[in-house]
Amino acid sequence: MSDSIGTPVIKKDHCDKISGRALYTDDWPMDGVLYGRILRSKKARARIVDIHLPPLPEGCYIIDRNDVPGVNRVHIVKDDCPVFADDTVEYIGEAILMVAGPDKKETGRIRDSIEVEYEELEPVLDVLKSEECFFEYGCSRGDLDAELERADFVYEEQFRSGSQEQAYLEVQGMEGMWQDGITSVRGSMQCPYYVHRALAGVMAVDEDHVRVLGEVTGGGFGGKEDYPSILAAQVAVAAKKTGKPVRCVFERREDIECTSKRHPSLYNIKAAVRDGRVTALDVDIVLDAGAYTTLSAVVLQRAVIAAEGIYNIPVLKVRGRAMKTNTVPNGAFRGFGGPQSFYALELLFDHIAQKLGRDSLEFRLEHCAQKGDPTSTGGIFHFDVPIPEMVEELSKLCGYGEKHKKYAAEQSGRYRRGIGMSLFYHGAGFTGAGERDMIKAVLRLKKNRDDNVEILSANMDIGQGLTTTFAKIAARELGLPLDRVTVADPDTSFVPDSGPTVASRSIMVVGELIRRAAARLKEQWVSGEECIVEERFREPDFVLPFDPERFEGDAYPTFSWGVQAVELETDTLTGYTRILGAWGDYDIGTVIDENIARGQMEGGFLQGISYASMEQIPADKSGRIRNSSFSDYLIPTAADIPVLETIFHPVEYSDGPYGAKGAGELPTAGGAPAWLMAMQQIVCRELNCIPFTTEDTLRTLGEVSE
Amino acid sequence: MVRPENLNDALKTLSRGGMTICAGGTDVMVYPPENARLLMVDRLPELKLIEDLGDAVRIGAAVTFTEGIESPIVPELMKAALRRIAAPAIRNMGTFGGNIGNGSAKADSVLIDFVLDAKLELASIRGTRTPDIDKFYLGRKKLDLAPDELIAAIFLPKPKGSWYYEKVGGREALAISRLSFAGVIDVRDGVITSLSAAFGAVADTVLRFKELEAMLTGKSLDEARAMKPDFIAAYDRAIVPIRGRVSETWRKEVCLNLLRDFLSQNGI
Repeated sequence: MSDSIGTPVIKKDHCDKISGRALYTDDWPMDGVLYGRILRSKKARARIVDIHLPPLPEGCYIIDRNDVPGVNRVHIVKDDCPVFADDTVEYIGEAILMVAGPDKKETGRIRDSIEVEYEELEPVLDVLKSEECFFEYGCSRGDLDAELERADFVYEEQFRSGSQEQAYLEVQGMEGMWQDGITSVRGSMQCPYYVHRALAGVMAVDEDHVRVLGEVTGGGFGGKEDYPSILAAQVAVAAKKTGKPVRCVFERREDIECTSKRHPSLYNIKAAVRDGRVTALDVDIVLDAGAYTTLSAVVLQRAVIAAEGIYNIPVLKVRGRAMKTNTVPNGAFRGFGGPQSFYALELLFDHIAQKLGRDSLEFRLEHCAQKGDPTSTGGIFHFDVPIPEMVEELSKLCGYGEKHKKYAAEQSGRYRRGIGMSLFYHGAGFTGAGERDMIKAVLRLKKNRDDNVEILSANMDIGQGLTTTFAKIAARELGLPLDRVTVADPDTSFVPDSGPTVASRSIMVVGELIRRAAARLKEQWVSGEECIVEERFREPDFVLPFDPERFEGDAYPTFSWGVQAVELETDTLTGYTRILGAWGDYDIGTVIDENIARGQMEGGFLQGISYASMEQIPADKSGRIRNSSFSDYLIPTAADIPVLETIFHPVEYSDGPYGAKGAGELPTAGGAPAWLMAMQQIVCRELNCIPFTTEDTLRTLGEVSE
Repeated sequence: MVRPENLNDALKTLSRGGMTICAGGTDVMVYPPENARLLMVDRLPELKLIEDLGDAVRIGAAVTFTEGIESPIVPELMKAALRRIAAPAIRNMGTFGGNIGNGSAKADSVLIDFVLDAKLELASIRGTRTPDIDKFYLGRKKLDLAPDELIAAIFLPKPKGSWYYEKVGGREALAISRLSFAGVIDVRDGVITSLSAAFGAVADTVLRFKELEAMLTGKSLDEARAMKPDFIAAYDRAIVPIRGRVSETWRKEVCLNLLRDFLSQNGI
């Protein structure tokens, strides 16, 4: 085993982080640095009539839209999110201005004494009342009307899902500087070059006059994909105005109230059933985008593409829309539109099986896509789909068949049990033509005179272990010990743009560039001499090129596959549900580090489970989030999941390093449907709304027994 | 910060005013009052004792939850509640006195203080008094505690007969109670000699209805079974939950479910 690349090693950042020596943005010394505190809108939609500022003590500054040297818009996908509000505010928490000063408390007091006069406008808080569609995508195959006509029956159901907070341990934090015409920003982020490009536009400088440094980052889960560009723009503008470094680190409440979350969704699905099979799907998706477009376009694309689940249905029509509401803009969150679709599709197939009197798992497997089948966008599943073997493996591991049968029988007594199993995938890498047309990743390896090798990439270790796994790939290809390979700090002034740390792309795409560069470096290796090797992304030859206009082709070169099972026990007196066990089987291709991958799978699975059960973001009538602290916004702890087992079923991928493909997001997609199916056995009712809380459980138990 | 060596010094300091009392710090340190001057009572020897008084246990206010769990003389009913408090690190710091002084109806050890009719020992330089726990709680976060008074100890009667305890939180650990219930019942020769039932996290203070408990006291189990629907209906009328993280409807239903189950478990 020791010669397998997957054999665990001590993570490169382990000692620094476990000993507390690693410095996060809030930990750096404050010498000469000003604190930035942001004044935010208290209204969901309003025109700003006037702002009454108190007298400012010396050394304190107000920074607002008038101080933005370039365009007052942060480039994300589109350019609609202001750095500081213009005349209107569009959600509670939108930044209006920043107060910067040398004392944190005093700066906060000044901010709190500012009075904003609003002329309130009617906000749209319910996505169904929204009339503004930011984006619409769709895909189709076959004649839907004809198939609905021919069907034995048409099954219709609506599925709803709620919001979810990323809950990274380290809050958003950024520091900006302005010196000699160069804007530099450092802080907590996933995508240094996203920040870099956004700053060029806001500061009205060319990209050579921007420098971004990704610092030690305590978790992201997607929450540090787009938002850091906004905060970076704010501190950069402040630094230019004050002539001093300005740092802004959020309070937890501020972070929960004002930063992006998972898109709440509404799925209306029609399924044609003929001769015991689903022959057509008509899926209508509505995502709540929030107040600005940010990343909604790409999240929606992933949701649309995954709207066929893991299945191959002869006739398909998907229409997805991302609608504006006056709520905090929703953005990237692990799974990125996928979890919404797999939850709806898994439950849909389960419910149709019930209606047909079929075993759910058997029924679902009959519809599972296979190698060579078309994808929803007219691409091809180019590789083996290992779902049937994985189902068998996992069933054996957790005793699924026996338990499922046992719990289906009538249960008496105070406690009731249920088990559920979900089947899902994650399209590996950036969606559509993104890698080829937009990201165009570049990677460099630098061999120093001491024969040590540095990996120059813009990808961030946000806890997922990338500085270790990247180094393992290069070390193996070069035949070097791991301590001779390091990953350079992601500083845009000397690392190339290897793309964002998103979409489960880092190992598969950037890791493969590292491997290829290392192979070339090995050929050119001259001891004692400096050498730089550069690799650029090339689309694999087998890919059917994706056409963004027609939304057709291979949206992903390959897929990672997953099967998860969850077993629950509910107290019928309280509705409280405990997890008895959770088991996952994953095909992420070759595993680059077993410990790291296992950690990813466990954490993602739990995040998926709590998305269905524990995590909810209630808002009051004005649109204000009511539970913006960790004593009110609950996420699970280790005590909630006493049994959590992970196995791997690697199907090697030809164009990933040593056969590896996407990993990080996959496990989040299956938790909700597996949990909900287990809950269905307990409450004896089909479910189609998440989160399904303790209160919902008790109410449903009561309704069913009446 | 002041950290006196003994209770007398602590009370003298407290009487001069302007101090924030800090025992384990698990509340105070989360959002410390600005410019707070802390009076640390965590090491006062007088507040660290657990004593067996025969029918009752005297628990010093600065005894931590972990010490309570590990003590051979703290009643098992109290331990059942202590084990569900937060997580080990917080149980190592959090104290019996602090749980009471916080004034919350969700405090897990306070529910047990209520159901067992605990008395408190309040100390000041003026002397000592020992109010009943239910008289000490005046309302939400309102306590019958003078500025110069310190909670020194809890007199906790030992439960007679059998007890029942349930806590519902949002998760398994580090969970503030969404509802908690404790019941104690003593049955001698088929006759209920005493019964008490307390509900936590339902209203501004822990709820107990002694007049309703009296309905079943002195009754035989057969009589009690016949009265059960009326008894539950009386609690249905008496309990008025507040809306918080969970709805009033859920709180009411779970209160009655657990009360019903408590009686069933005891043959009623």
